[in-house]
Amino acid sequence: MTYDLELFLSDQPAALERVLQTTRYRGFKISQLQMHNSGAGLQLSMQVSGPQPINILTTQLHKLYDLASLNIEQTLPQTA
Amino acid sequence: MTGAQAILKSLIKHGADRVFGYPGGAIMPLYDALLDSPVRHFLCRHEQGAAFAAIGYARATNKVGVCIATSGPGATNLLTSLADAKLDSVPLVVITGQVARTSMGSDAFQEVDVLGLSLSICKHSMQVMEPADLQPVLNRAFAIAKEGRPGPVLVDIPKDIQQGFVPEDVPEQPAEQPLPQAKDTAIHAANHLLEQSQRPVVYIGGGVSMANAVPQLRDFLNRTGLPQVSTLKGLGSAENHHSHYLGMLGMHGLAAANLAVQEADLLLIIGARLDDRVTGKLEEFAPQAKIIHVDIDPAEIHKRRHADVSILGDLQQILPALDCHSQKSSWLERVEKLKQRKAFSYAAHQAGEDIDAPSLLRSLSDLSEEDAIVSCDVGQHQMWVAQHMQFSHPTRHLSSGGLGTMGFGLPAAIGAQVAEPDKQVMAVCGDGSFMMNVQELGTLRRYQMPVKILILDNQRLGMVKQWQELFHDERYSETDLSDNPPFSQLAQAFGIASCEITDAAEVPAALKTMLEHPGPYLLHVRLDHKANVWPIVPPNTANHKMWEQAR
Ligand SMILES: Cc1ncc(C[n+]2csc(CCOP(=O)(O)OP(=O)(O)O)c2C)c(N)n1
Repeated sequence: MTYDLELFLSDQPAALERVLQTTRYRGFKISQLQMHNSGAGLQLSMQVSGPQPINILTTQLHKLYDLASLNIEQTLPQTA
Repeated sequence: MTGAQAILKSLIKHGADRVFGYPGGAIMPLYDALLDSPVRHFLCRHEQGAAFAAIGYARATNKVGVCIATSGPGATNLLTSLADAKLDSVPLVVITGQVARTSMGSDAFQEVDVLGLSLSICKHSMQVMEPADLQPVLNRAFAIAKEGRPGPVLVDIPKDIQQGFVPEDVPEQPAEQPLPQAKDTAIHAANHLLEQSQRPVVYIGGGVSMANAVPQLRDFLNRTGLPQVSTLKGLGSAENHHSHYLGMLGMHGLAAANLAVQEADLLLIIGARLDDRVTGKLEEFAPQAKIIHVDIDPAEIHKRRHADVSILGDLQQILPALDCHSQKSSWLERVEKLKQRKAFSYAAHQAGEDIDAPSLLRSLSDLSEEDAIVSCDVGQHQMWVAQHMQFSHPTRHLSSGGLGTMGFGLPAAIGAQVAEPDKQVMAVCGDGSFMMNVQELGTLRRYQMPVKILILDNQRLGMVKQWQELFHDERYSETDLSDNPPFSQLAQAFGIASCEITDAAEVPAALKTMLEHPGPYLLHVRLDHKANVWPIVPPNTANHKMWEQAR
């Protein structure tokens, strides 16, 4: 399955690394990634896919102290 | 106030008046300030040992353990222990020195990106880049280490920030990640499942102790009388003499515990995470059981198995609200029978016989004080400790569970003895594992701590040898340690009293001498290398298909 995630992160060193590392370690691949610093923090849009249910990733992302908010925007069927 | 002074002030403020560490260039300002501080520092002989000592301290007290290291090699030497603390949810604050800010990013001498290295093995990591941030960061580190599911927090502090002036402390911020609050509906649903179930089993994990909820758990078990099993980290939570307590489950679990869980129609999982060493083949684990999963960490719910009911929150509040009134007499009879039928029996220590490690450990458990603390290394002896010794509380059993790190036993015992100077503390070590942190004999010598070391020496990397024997056609590859040094003489070189035994008849007197010795002591126990740990659940096999003896 493919998922679009919207994350808002505090602008801390390693915030982005933490998200990428967690995503990889929990078995998801990133197919699209966009990030910009809004001044108030890091706005991150990320499309990920993986064989496991998305809560395996999102519950771990929620544990990151740099994460302010996380939304799953939509779920798309896997495109080959 | 300098940064170094501020760090020490912060440690005192957070109750960390005893710390473990090892000095070096980038942390020298802190070590200098230590000379004028009430913080008591214990010099270990390797940063891994210092961090394991901090883990032993934390696990024996459920308080935050602190260790300190320099940049570069000091920091990299800590990594194994950080991972150990992460996987076993141990609250630590780990302070590393870093090169001065002006040198950072230039491959300076002893500069490594410890922040980067630590990310996946810490609950959180922070680097202090402004003097004004130092004290708030330390406050945050202590708060994060202990809130919710505990874990290690690394704070990397450049040398110039330790040397320069920092402003006074600011008031502490409240906990940042709001803890989940148990929902009444979930508790009602759990109680309903408990009432309805015919064959319930309570599966107790390390979370019970970390939540300081042992009294609430025991009260729940006494109110309901339900059958109970424990993970490695949960040992000591239930009362050992409870007639429905079946002991440890999992790969080297007790047969009665594994069979009861496999037959259960409901598992009440409390502060545990369905680790693969517990479940065996996951698809065949407790196949008929519904699951009630109680934990503080939402990420553990549905991670390895779907929960029919999940309750997230503080066990101290949840356990008193759980109840079960319906009688399960035929199930309880079945459980009692299993417990009787599968109970271990112990050899008398007969002259002319090889020493039997399980019987020796049982005798040690019987002879030692009720609240003695036992730490161990990793391997066969670790499983024998878990199977055959009894613990009055989970803080009395220190074992590297999630990471399974050889070399844990001695430094963790040192940390526990620092935390509990008046308690009996023992390290049960494997001959392979002991050599991984053998340098900590120097720490024992220096502080003359009365830690008792028991080396169960089978001249093998026993657990690996067991797998080679059972699952690799007896192809023994690199597991022979028959050229071990004479451990007893090694202890004596450190001024530590010691003794070596080989015959079963020597066991009772040797244990007594060790326990009565006022200072540190090493007992070298020679075992037959053929002994194995039973039961064992072979890889990718359901727990009820365990092998209970050699085939
Ligand atoms: C640091 C580390 N390296 C390797 C292992 C793999 N391992 C697990 S048990 C074991 C053998 C341990 O031997 P010993 O300490 O003598 O204990 P025994 O099993 O003989 O009781 C090994 C090598 C490990 N757990 N930890």
